[in-house]
Amino acid sequence: MKTIYKSILAFVAWVMLSVSAFAVDVIVVSHGQANDPFWSVAKNGVDTGCKDMGISCKYTAPATFDMVEMAKLIDNAVSQKPKGIVITLPDAAALGKSVKAAIAAGIPVISMNSGSDDFASLGISAHVGQTEFEAGVGGGEKMKAAGGKKALCVNHEVGNVALDRRCAGFKKGFGGSVDILGTSNDPTEIQSAVAAKLNGGYDTILTLGAGLAGEAALKALKSAGKVGDIRLGTFDMSPGMLKAAAAGEVEFLIDQQQYLQGYLPIAIFGQYMRYGTMPAGVVMTGPGFVTPDNAAKVIKWAAQGYR
Amino acid sequence: MSEYLIEFNNISKYFGKVIALKDVTMKLKKGEIMCLLGDNGAGKSTLIKTLAGVHKPDEGEIIIEGKKTVFDSPKDALDMGIGTVYQDLALVSLMSVTRNFFMGREPLKGIPLFKTFDMEKADKIAAEKMGQIGIDVRDPSQAVGTMSGGERQCLAISRAIYFGAKVLVLDEPTSALGVHQASMVLKYVVKAASEGLAVILITHNVHHAYPVGNSFTVLNRGKSLGTFNKKDISREELLSMMAGGEELKKLEVELKEMDRLAKI
Amino acid sequence: MSEKAKSIASKKDFNQDERLKKVSNLKILLNRPELGAVGGAILVFIFFGIVAGDTGMFSAYGALNFLDVSANLGIIAIAAAMLMIGGEFDLSIGSMIGFAGICIAIPAIYWGWPLWISIIFAFAMAVLVGYFNGILVVKTGLPSFIVTLAMLFILRGATLAITRLITGRTQVPGLRVLIENDPIAWMFATDTFKWLFTWLGSMNLIALRTDGTPLATGIPPSVIWFIAITLFATWILMKTRYGNWIFASGGDKTGATNVGVPVGRVKISLFIGTAMAATLFATIQVLDAGSADTMRGNLKELEAIAAAVVGGCLLTGGYGSAIGAAFGALIFGTVSMGIFYTDVDTDWFKVFLGAMMLIAVVFNNYIRKKVTENK
Repeated sequence: MKTIYKSILAFVAWVMLSVSAFAVDVIVVSHGQANDPFWSVAKNGVDTGCKDMGISCKYTAPATFDMVEMAKLIDNAVSQKPKGIVITLPDAAALGKSVKAAIAAGIPVISMNSGSDDFASLGISAHVGQTEFEAGVGGGEKMKAAGGKKALCVNHEVGNVALDRRCAGFKKGFGGSVDILGTSNDPTEIQSAVAAKLNGGYDTILTLGAGLAGEAALKALKSAGKVGDIRLGTFDMSPGMLKAAAAGEVEFLIDQQQYLQGYLPIAIFGQYMRYGTMPAGVVMTGPGFVTPDNAAKVIKWAAQGYR
Repeated sequence: MSEYLIEFNNISKYFGKVIALKDVTMKLKKGEIMCLLGDNGAGKSTLIKTLAGVHKPDEGEIIIEGKKTVFDSPKDALDMGIGTVYQDLALVSLMSVTRNFFMGREPLKGIPLFKTFDMEKADKIAAEKMGQIGIDVRDPSQAVGTMSGGERQCLAISRAIYFGAKVLVLDEPTSALGVHQASMVLKYVVKAASEGLAVILITHNVHHAYPVGNSFTVLNRGKSLGTFNKKDISREELLSMMAGGEELKKLEVELKEMDRLAKI
Repeated sequence: MSEKAKSIASKKDFNQDERLKKVSNLKILLNRPELGAVGGAILVFIFFGIVAGDTGMFSAYGALNFLDVSANLGIIAIAAAMLMIGGEFDLSIGSMIGFAGICIAIPAIYWGWPLWISIIFAFAMAVLVGYFNGILVVKTGLPSFIVTLAMLFILRGATLAITRLITGRTQVPGLRVLIENDPIAWMFATDTFKWLFTWLGSMNLIALRTDGTPLATGIPPSVIWFIAITLFATWILMKTRYGNWIFASGGDKTGATNVGVPVGRVKISLFIGTAMAATLFATIQVLDAGSADTMRGNLKELEAIAAAVVGGCLLTGGYGSAIGAAFGALIFGTVSMGIFYTDVDTDWFKVFLGAMMLIAVVFNNYIRKKVTENK
């Protein structure tokens, strides 16, 4: 028994010596876990930004999508008295109290990625991200320029405000007729739902997610032999869709460039700490379009974790 | 008033096609120690469970103090004064002596709705009762697990007596004990009987049973081979009546024969 | 009566047995089930005090943060501990949290019920769920592990399906505005001891906001409930007849029944206890976040059981302590928040939780052996 106690104490001592905690300039509280393929790109943006600005940062996120825990992390961050806090704002109602407490404590807050509607009412200084409606407009305009007249917008989570806005914006930018196809988030079901619509006279299909809906729609097009007849575009990126774009099978991918969503808030705080400058309103990081022209380069950078 | 405290008349118990007990009769007077002997599988545990109210007999009747009685549950048997101490003792070794002693019948104090377990009173009574048996419980809040097997057996018996048992039914009380511990328990059994309880001691060990028993009933394959007073039967005769006795005699004869053949 | 018995019975006062004094106070302490958890908590505080002492973790605001997390976990950990002492497990606690949250939010937002009626409704549902769990376990004799595992799926699935059916989404927001004039909700949503923090702020002893008011406004409601439940549970276990029945039901189910303990009733009431603790957790959380979410409470039952085990409860039942579970919850809450103040990757928290459980079980086993082999 004694040896077990001794080894436990030795282990604890070792942990204590190797763990450190320093005061940090900027704390990022995000709802996206660092090991997630999408968010690791944003985290790379944060890390690069800190190096470039010469400040210290920390990226934190709850283990699961849990707004209660995320609010706790914001409170945590406030107690460490950083010079600035960057958050994502997927649920303004749940996070509002903690955000307001941060601002009341004199810590400036910038939001990124989500919350473009609510950030101002909470007193957040600026928002960095892609607003869904405007991105949809951009996509719609691009499809219109390519000659599209009748489009299908595939929404795999009807009721998700962000996704609903993407289709709505697309409709505005497209100008022609747009039908909304609501599906579940099961890829097989999406594929069959899209396949069922392929004889409906559509010349354009827009999906709101690449890995899930985009690839399923592409599969439907391929098995019906309609790739090229019907133009396919998607929001967000996935390795499969990127490859398809490089092969010319996809019109475009709408890249919200989350690397910038991680980088820019840090850059803003870096300058704020020096000279007190702060942009007002929304800093748009998207829509960035990945097309068959630049897909190859994007694939290279995605493999490195920057796109 | 019948001369017998408890009578168990022509009891039979069937489980489907299996005849666990057939026509078993036992009668006990106050202060009598009756040893129920029988090898494993003779039907002893079925008999105890019927006495304790776990099983209802299919035939026969139970008479307590002259009145015909039917037990609907173990609680009924308890209420009628049958205190059964099973082999596992119904003691929780992690709980204290006091908590075990008063398990299910804890003394209460205080205002209604917020009654609390009167631990001081319980501690005192538990220590006192154990002391009367001759077991010095240094601290009644110590875990029962710290007591020896014999002490635990005595605790279970003492609990049964304290809560009003008129008939003690002890299931193999000495089987798991060494000689010293066994004699401690048997001494207590004798003391309890001397204070007016009737005791049914179930065992397969004649050497433990013979010194303390007043009468002996032998069970063999569900049937009673008879009830005998101590003055009417010897230890060897009892042994030979239990199935083991017959087998051992046969074995002795065979071994002698093998010996003789080997010498040729 | 034997000579020895006579001499002992004649001792006037058993407390004057000189051998009692030789059992040192330290030994009594070592025999207590809480020891591991209290020791662990002290170690954790020393650890973070040294490593993260000046990061703000122990500022008023920071400390209230991890105390809030600990308190919430503690509420369900204590209920889980009492059930474990009684010999059973409840794996459906986490799903009940999600379910209870929806039981509050949907009636209040979609059916127009007053908030206090919705809260009472949620607690009523808890009684039903707990009773159902208990009756199944008692009547079928199935291991509670299986029965409550099934309920884990049933409740979570029902929560998701019903919510999507009624609202079309998985979250129900908008509750914060309803708290203000509600006769019951304040009990679950109000900070207390505000005067203390205002005074501390005026003395500049704690951090202030830009407008001069203290950053930490008061003790969160979870902490008050947690302390109350710890005291209540300890009183039940140590001082009441019902508490003895809980130990007995967990220690030896058949033996206890044979001496007249109503084991079935005890177990059913304990299951109702865990369901209600889950509902209390959910109520506090829903009112704090202002919204209900179908995925709340996911896997929380495992943390509750871990805290109970660290607190000294044996998985086989019949032994344990509510205070131990409380300290177990304190350990996990402190570490889960404390990690964020260091540069350690937060994924290590799960490793820590599992390792603590292992250490606690080995330690408790050792203590149990010592307790039962003193002679």
